[in-house]
Order: sequence, then C-alpha cells, then structure tokens
Amino acid sequence: MTIVTGKTEARRKLQPVRSGALRNIWAHRADYAYVLPAIAVMLVVIAYPIYYTIELSFYKTPPGLQLRDKTFIGFDNYTTILTSEVFWKVTWNTLIWTFGSTFISFVLGFATALALHRDFVGRGVLRAILIIPWVISAVAASYIWKWIYHSDFGIIGAVLVGLGLTDRPPNFIDNVSTVLPSLIVVNIWREFPFAMIMMMAGLQTVPEQLLRAAKVDGANAWQRFWHVTFPHLRNVSVVTILLLAVANFNSFIIPWIMTAGGPSNASHIWITHIYELAFGRQRWGVASAYSVLLFLILMALGYFYVRALSGNERKEGSA
Amino acid sequence: MAHVVLKDLVKTYGSFKAVNDVSLTVNDGEFVALVGPSGCGKTTTLNLVAGLTSITSGDIVIGDRVVNDLDPKDRDIAMVFQNYALYPQKSVYMNLAFPLQMRKLPRDEIDKKVKEAARVLDMTHLLERKPRELSGGQQQRVALGRALVRDPAVFLMDEPLSNLDAKLRVQMRSEIKRFHQDLKATIIYVTHDQLEAVTMADKMAVMNGGFLQQYDSPAQVFAHPVNMFVASFIGSPAMSLIPLETSTANGGTALTSAEGWSLGLSPRNVQKVTKAATKKVVLGARHSTIKLHKSAVPGSIPAKVYTVEPTGDVTFVQAFLSGAIVNVSVPPNIAVAPDERIWLEFDQERMHLFDGETEMALEAD
Repeated sequence: MTIVTGKTEARRKLQPVRSGALRNIWAHRADYAYVLPAIAVMLVVIAYPIYYTIELSFYKTPPGLQLRDKTFIGFDNYTTILTSEVFWKVTWNTLIWTFGSTFISFVLGFATALALHRDFVGRGVLRAILIIPWVISAVAASYIWKWIYHSDFGIIGAVLVGLGLTDRPPNFIDNVSTVLPSLIVVNIWREFPFAMIMMMAGLQTVPEQLLRAAKVDGANAWQRFWHVTFPHLRNVSVVTILLLAVANFNSFIIPWIMTAGGPSNASHIWITHIYELAFGRQRWGVASAYSVLLFLILMALGYFYVRALSGNERKEGSA
Repeated sequence: MAHVVLKDLVKTYGSFKAVNDVSLTVNDGEFVALVGPSGCGKTTTLNLVAGLTSITSGDIVIGDRVVNDLDPKDRDIAMVFQNYALYPQKSVYMNLAFPLQMRKLPRDEIDKKVKEAARVLDMTHLLERKPRELSGGQQQRVALGRALVRDPAVFLMDEPLSNLDAKLRVQMRSEIKRFHQDLKATIIYVTHDQLEAVTMADKMAVMNGGFLQQYDSPAQVFAHPVNMFVASFIGSPAMSLIPLETSTANGGTALTSAEGWSLGLSPRNVQKVTKAATKKVVLGARHSTIKLHKSAVPGSIPAKVYTVEPTGDVTFVQAFLSGAIVNVSVPPNIAVAPDERIWLEFDQERMHLFDGETEMALEAD
C-alpha cells in the first residue's frame, strides 16, 4: 500500500501545504481521489451546462446564425422577458398549474390513502388499480387523454351529449378558458397516486396505541384524526407537497404533447415556453435567461425540501 | 371509585378463543394484577374492559352499570399504556388537559385539575415540555397523570413499567403502589412479570391460554398454587417440578423415581397422593424448602450439581434429579462445585403434589 492513512510521522513529511482547508484536503487526498471520477462526470454533464446556460443568457443569439456569432447584450434578455406580456401570462399559468395540481393531488391522494387504510375486501386490487396512472408512460397517457377530450370523437363529449346535457360536445383543449383546467385534471389523475402512496406509508407509522389512548380519552373519529393522525403525518405531508410542487413546476410531457402551449399561449407553462423558445424559435439567449430564472426558483424550493428532510432527522434523532 | 365484575367473559377471533369464560370480581379500591405469559389473554381481557375490543359473550359491569356496549369514553375508565402513548406534538400540560378538553370541561376547571394532577405527581416543572424532552420515568408519570385528571372509576394499566430500565422499574413500582394507596383507586394492572404482580397487587389473576387459572391474594397463590402452571409461573426461581410415581411397599406409600430412589411421605402427603387418579405424581418444591446436604442423611435423595449461581445473599444451586432440574438456595458460605454429588432433603410440610395427568394440585381433606 502506498496510500498514507495513519502515521502522523509520514504525513508531516509529505505535507507541503499549510493552510487549513487545503491541509485537510491533502490529509484526505485518497478519499478525494476516489470520488474524482464522479466529480469529473458531474462537472461535464451538470456544472458545464449550467455555466453555459448562464453565459448564454447574457448574449443575443440571432436565429439562423452559428452560436459563435452571439453578441453580448448584458441583462437585455432579462429585461425583455420581464417586460413581455407573454412572460406574465406564462408565469400566471405556471402558478395555477403548479399550485392547482399540487394541492388537489395531495388532498385527493391523502383522502384515498385514508380510505384505503382500513381493511376491506378488494383493498389490494383497488390499490393496484389506483397506482396505474402513476406507472404508465406519461406520453401514452397524454395521447389517450387527448382523445378522451377530443371535440368530435372524445368519449367525455359523447357521454355528455348522450345524457342530453349539451347539444354538441364541449371543446376542452381548443378553448382558451378551459384548456388549462383540463390539463390540470390530467396531471392530477397522473400524480395523485404518488401522494396516495406517500401518505399510505405515513399512515402505517401512526402508533396504534396513540389512537387507542385518544379513544379512551374520549376523542371521536374526527378528533382522533385531527389530534393524533394528522400531526403525525405533518413531515411526510411537507415532503410530499414539496416533491409534487417541484415535479409540477418542471412539468413538460403532458402540456407539450396535449397542446404544445396553445391555443394562444393559454396552456404554456415555463418549461414548455422555454422549450419552444429554444428549440422552436432558436432564441437561445432568451431561453437561457428564462432557464436561469427557473433555476433560481427551483433552488429555493429545493432549499425548503432539504430543510424539511433534515428537520425530520433532527426530531427522530432526539426522540 | 367502583367495583368491576367480569362474568363468563369470552373473546374469540375466528376459531381462536383468546379469552375463555373468565369470571372475576374486582372490589372497590382493589389493586388486581392480571398476570401470565405472552398470549395468555391478559391484555385482551383488559382491552375488553376498556371497550377497545368488543366482547363475544359475557358481561362486564363497572360500578353498577353493564358496560358491554358502551364506548370506552362512556365507561368511566382511564388507561395507562405500555409505550406511555403520550401525544408527541402536545406539551405535558396539553397531554394532561386532552381528556378533559374532549369532555368539554370549562377552561379554568381544566387548568385547576391539570395543575392538581401535576402537583400530586411532582411534575409541575415539566408542564411546558414536550414528551420527547422527558425521561422514560417522567413520561410514565405523565401517562399516569393523564389517567389521574379524569378521576375515573377504574384505572386500567397495560404493562406500564415494561419499557423502563430495571432500576427505574423498581422505583416506579413503589410509586404506583403509593398512587394506589393514596387514591384508594380501583386498578386492573396487566403484567407478564410475576414479581410486579406479587409485590403490588392485592389480588392476582393468573391466566394461561385464555383461561383464568387462579384468582387470589399473592400470598395464597404463592402458598397454594392450584395447578402446575401457576406453581411454575409464580416465584423466582421457579418451583422445581419432579415427575415421580407412587408406590406402596412394606405397607407405606412412597414416591419412586426411575433413578431407583424413593421418598417416603408424611401421612398428610399420603392422603394427598391417594386422591390422584393415576400413579403419576409430580413433586413440586420451592428453592427455599429444599435442604442441601454434602453427605447422605436419612430421607435425603442423591442428586448431581449442574450449575452454581452465587448472588451475594444466597447461592442458587441447580441440580439434576430424576430428569428434572431442581433449584435449591443455600447460604453463600456453602461451597459446591458443578458435577458434585449432593443430597437433597424435601420439607414434607411445604412440598406440593400434583396429579401427573391433570396437572392439578392434590389437596388433603
């Protein structure tokens, strides 16, 4: 073995650096050597793209020209974005999309988890069926829902007409006012099973004895839920909501495949808009500036996520 | 406070009978321990009394009411659980106040009762803390307090000390005993630890396999176990049980072993063994009633030392005798070594005799 690990004598001789942090690194140089390949790969596939996106966000990139013809324009891309009407429209859509999907998915998932928590015949089968939306391909699901919503051949329209509720099938996704809610319904359908699974796992950790104690103490079913079950699920709820929020903020497949942002930007959210700007209209600079803004917002969400997780550990550690 | 009557109580899960025709009366102010090994039905019985489990048949009377179909909250009981079951997100104060809030008592009355309970249990300084900031003993005291504020007719305790370390358990044992004496509370206490039952309870109900085996004062249960199960379960180290056969030779009745020796019996013990329907008789003897000799004396039986366990005050010797292991306690100044040959002398007055077939104690007239 040539790696120096223990002997202080040997380490002192080999030690060329004096400053604290560097000395620390030198003392653990073998450990750093082991993780170096992983760090190198991360730098290439993550750090460099992030850097390049930030760089591009300060340049004008004329469509049709090569990227090396870009010209530095400072914060112009950012001012362009923040002053454009589309930006505010898309931001509003993103907020509705993210909060609507997250909130309703969580509530629906939680309710389903509570319903499935009791033992009844067919519980296993029902649970398996309810997980299907989450496990099938989002692309396939998007195409299926596109047909379900179709204004001429869609099954929902046909049923509504058949029941005599409307004369002609409603136009779900070719209509500026209904397109976003329609897409949110699909998104909820797809991701509520995730919330359900998380909350089902959480429910299994509620101590049975606490519920019994509350029963003896005179709490009714609702009070037992409110005073015992719900507080116990606080942490898993926070984590579930944050994971859903990040996933929804980053949504792409469902809105892109079903409507590609249309009609007239009514269903564009940030990710689809950035994609269209970059790969549709080749406005790399503006798209990069958008990405940087999105990155900052997601970093903030990520911060809360990590804090919620480490909060859990602190509590478990001292319990 | 109130008395509790269980009458022909039965609980079945499918074809499994967890509680089998249990009948007993707990008098007002009595401390009764339900004791038995795991799965004997003691906790199920307690849950039936609490109303957390529904009864299959029989009656439960608390005070003067039949409570078979009442919810736990309407039975006027309070329960202390094994894992304390404190609400982790609530402060000690709110934990104590919770059962009163659920009963919609006025706020100032709740405050008065909580503070009184905290004073009685000496935990006024803990009221603002969360359960996780308390030691195991303090948590258990809060659990007691939460039962106390309710001023219930009956306290039900489900192995409340089994999560505590040995030293704290001894301390909390005397605290609960004191709690009972001060409040004159009716307490039904479940434990698998026979020592807890013997030291704390006015009466103990020994259960096994869903059946109530014996219900009497600890002293009676200790001195007159009704069957081999109770005999071996109560007392530590356990009573030694030696399977033997009766024989009549030369006009006298004796117990003989397959090893060849025989043990003459006193007239009273002869009367007992003649009650047995079979020749198979089991001799039971507690460690303190057997004398150990280093050489043969009249009436003693040869045995071989298996292990020697000095505990300071006494030394426990385990010896092989007729295929069974016999526990004997000797003063610490008597030195014996494993595999040493010894002679054991049984006290005729204090030995127990059991029917080898039915396992029931044989009694003289």
